[in-house]
Amino acid sequence: MSTRHSKAGEAFLKDKEHASWHNESLWFVREKRDKVSKDIPEWEELRELSSRIKMHTVSHLDTYLEQFTKNAEANGVIVHWATDASEHNEIVYGILHKNNVKKLVKSKSMLTEECHLNPYLIEMGIDVIESDLGERILQLMDLAPSHIVLPAIHIKRQQVGELFEEKLGTEKGNSDPTYLTRAARKHLRNEFLTADAGMTGANFAIAATGDIVVCTNEGNADMGTSLPNLHIVSMGLEKVIPDLQSLAVFTRLLARSATGQPVTTYTSHFRKPRKGGELHVVIVDNGRSKVLRNKDHVKTLNCIRCGACMNTCPVYRRTGGYSYTYFIPGPIGINLGMLKSPADYYDNVSACSLCFSCNNVCPSKIDLGQQIYKWRQDLDNLHVADPTKKLISGGLKFLFTKPALYNTSLKMAPVVNIMPRFMLYNGLNEWGKGRELPVFAKESFTELWKKWKVK
Amino acid sequence: MQYDMPDFTMNAIQYPDKIAKFSEVLKSVGGVAYLLKDGEDVNEAIKTIYPNAKVIASNCPDISCATLNPDESDDAHQLTGIDLAVVNGELGVAENACVWIPQNVVHKAIYFIAEEMVILLDKNKLVSNMHEAYQQISFSESGFGIFISGPSKTADIEQALVIGAHGVKGLTVILR
Repeated sequence: MSTRHSKAGEAFLKDKEHASWHNESLWFVREKRDKVSKDIPEWEELRELSSRIKMHTVSHLDTYLEQFTKNAEANGVIVHWATDASEHNEIVYGILHKNNVKKLVKSKSMLTEECHLNPYLIEMGIDVIESDLGERILQLMDLAPSHIVLPAIHIKRQQVGELFEEKLGTEKGNSDPTYLTRAARKHLRNEFLTADAGMTGANFAIAATGDIVVCTNEGNADMGTSLPNLHIVSMGLEKVIPDLQSLAVFTRLLARSATGQPVTTYTSHFRKPRKGGELHVVIVDNGRSKVLRNKDHVKTLNCIRCGACMNTCPVYRRTGGYSYTYFIPGPIGINLGMLKSPADYYDNVSACSLCFSCNNVCPSKIDLGQQIYKWRQDLDNLHVADPTKKLISGGLKFLFTKPALYNTSLKMAPVVNIMPRFMLYNGLNEWGKGRELPVFAKESFTELWKKWKVK
Repeated sequence: MQYDMPDFTMNAIQYPDKIAKFSEVLKSVGGVAYLLKDGEDVNEAIKTIYPNAKVIASNCPDISCATLNPDESDDAHQLTGIDLAVVNGELGVAENACVWIPQNVVHKAIYFIAEEMVILLDKNKLVSNMHEAYQQISFSESGFGIFISGPSKTADIEQALVIGAHGVKGLTVILR
């Protein structure tokens, strides 16, 4: 039995050249992250601090959310609470409708993806423009992001060239990234100048000051909130952190972990609405408060959405974001999907080799690998455990509990070395799909030990 | 389970030569640090660095090369067509080339909408890391403040770095 992830992954790997390019592009980002993290001798201390600040905040979330709301409101910000995705969408539409907004420019927000805000607003007659370059490319292609930080990482420059040729009237056959970026700049500048409202996510919300902090590189979030008078922020309730000293820790970790930059180009602090304008913050639960009570998985709320776990994951790199059935892929997405709905998203838990590389790059030290392991232990309760693997596990249990039989089987193992290929690489050998079996040693470790051959 | 707020005492990195580190990192993120020499006129320096800038916007009283004061515009939408914006920064951070700007103009759009930008910064106002920076920054009445590290950029097309996305396409920090 294959999971939907493994089937989609197999399809992704059919285009070997593209798959290998995808793997290398992400590994390049991972290497940049390694390099900049080593510039900071206190890197590991920072990760520890980040994890502990998050665990503290999450365990006092009520206090900090209350404090944030009080301070933001004192600054003139209008705070809204949304229990779920539809409530979020209705609140956003309500604000837009009241302000007679026809065109909304958005900067990148995974939360609005989670809530399916764009299709809802478009249905309600709002012109929604994604303004992050990657997101705009995907919006014009009618595709979803395949990575949370590098949304169009799976798209080749030639595809962007062809798309812009059709949609923006760029030169035929020109797929130079600088040329295409300039064309998008020109096109989107007009959108910024004619938008009636700007919408952003939030990287952090500061309880002590009421600030909304947005970290970006392109300047689109700032263009979109400096021209129209109305700014709407959509944030998950786990984005709140205690104070600016905590923020210092996260600003040192976020971009270094995400893209290997020392910091994002812009770290914008929105404390008050613009003069004559309005600033709305919609705080969204949508299942997050349920996670607070789940001691095995509460640490997923530590996530600062840097994407480092994706960049390092050997499975993500080789299967691509679309192979996962949840809208957030990679190690964090596997866990978030299971927290959302195990029955819908259990296919993704197979997308892990338990190498734990994700744990070691996570800037908030989430135990991503252990959590995936735990979900797998529950698969039988969901009645979705793989029957072949159950059979193998049962067989191994039988073998491991009978030493004489085990040792005899081990002695026989080298026979495999001389068996003809058709007997080894067939439908019965899951392990032999796409890889070669190892050569079995003539003598086992136990035998070598007994003969004093092990020094 | 309740967790306490951790203790923040940490030996965060210190740079003996903060100007050198700031300049090195700014270069790596696509910007330029320009150290004004003793007695050198800042307006002359700006004209030398940006000889082709025709429309220069600044509200800084000592920037006589400015051709317009953006604070006099009624609406941020009028601030198109600016070649160069010259603004004041408050604090620089050596580890990542960030400059803190508490909104010190009427329309914050000026920080992003101009083609290129110069940030003027007191060379004695450099700290080593973000912990020190967050202890020292101030906010203005407008309630907006921003750390800016280099010009806007993107790598959304095949991870190829392109300097100049939606914000400024070039950034010089003049340390004086």
